[in-house]
Amino acid sequence: MKDIARQSMSIKVESMDLLNQQIKMEAHASATYLAMASWCEQNGFFTSAKFFYKQTEEERGHMMKIFEFLVDTGGNPVSPEVTDINHDYSSIVDVFENTLEHEVAVTKSIHNIVKKARELGDLATERFLDWFVLEQVEEENTIRDILDMINVTGTEGVGLQMIDNKVADWID
Amino acid sequence: MNVIYQSTYYTLYQSVKERSFYVDFGQKMVRMSLCQLLSLRYKVMSIPIESHFDGDLNEHGFEVLLLCNKEHLFVLNTYEILDLKQFVEQSFVALGLSVGAETASV
Ligand SMILES: [Fe+2]
Ligand SMILES: [Fe+2]
Repeated sequence: MKDIARQSMSIKVESMDLLNQQIKMEAHASATYLAMASWCEQNGFFTSAKFFYKQTEEERGHMMKIFEFLVDTGGNPVSPEVTDINHDYSSIVDVFENTLEHEVAVTKSIHNIVKKARELGDLATERFLDWFVLEQVEEENTIRDILDMINVTGTEGVGLQMIDNKVADWID
Repeated sequence: MNVIYQSTYYTLYQSVKERSFYVDFGQKMVRMSLCQLLSLRYKVMSIPIESHFDGDLNEHGFEVLLLCNKEHLFVLNTYEILDLKQFVEQSFVALGLSVGAETASV
């Protein structure tokens, strides 16, 4: 009966802190992809813009998934402050290369939380993140495929237009 | 009510009967749910203590702390903030919800 604290909260506060940081990271990704959509719209890559509109929604979905987990476990989810969103890219290739970099950073961050949760003996958090670990494999793979396609297509002549059209294969 | 943790200026109590907590801030006793304790922790941890040692950033070395949806207001000095930071950290260790600073350096 003594343990009111444990009855109110089912994860460790250290996990909660890391998950709040992850909320922020997902929000940052969402905002970054929206900035990329803006860049694509302004530079005539309309299909790629659609791709990034979809990505921005997905990242927000990831954020909300973590947010709800913190609610469910009795934690204190924090609405993130999102700053430093880059809107400048030198080319469409630069956009997708940045995307891959972003996704790799997210993967690392998630793996780090999994390891930490394991250390803490926080099974709930560890298992919760299973979905994210697999999701990141998919996300990285998608962007790598697009970069491969860009490589094969080449950016000379009508290459850029073809690249943009082919991005449609990764929307839906 | 039993004491969960005590620092130089602050004490955390648990009331099993009321299923809630009390924090004695010296000036007053505040009843808190665990959610409110978490929110206190978040606010206290977010205070940039370094600014207290920089005359330009925090000239007077005070922090205003609003708790429980602005029901309570505290004005705390550097010593109290330092103690409060340690207090919230250790309180969660005492509550069994944190492993403490050594293992959890994030
Ligand atoms: Fe994500
Ligand atoms: Fe992603």
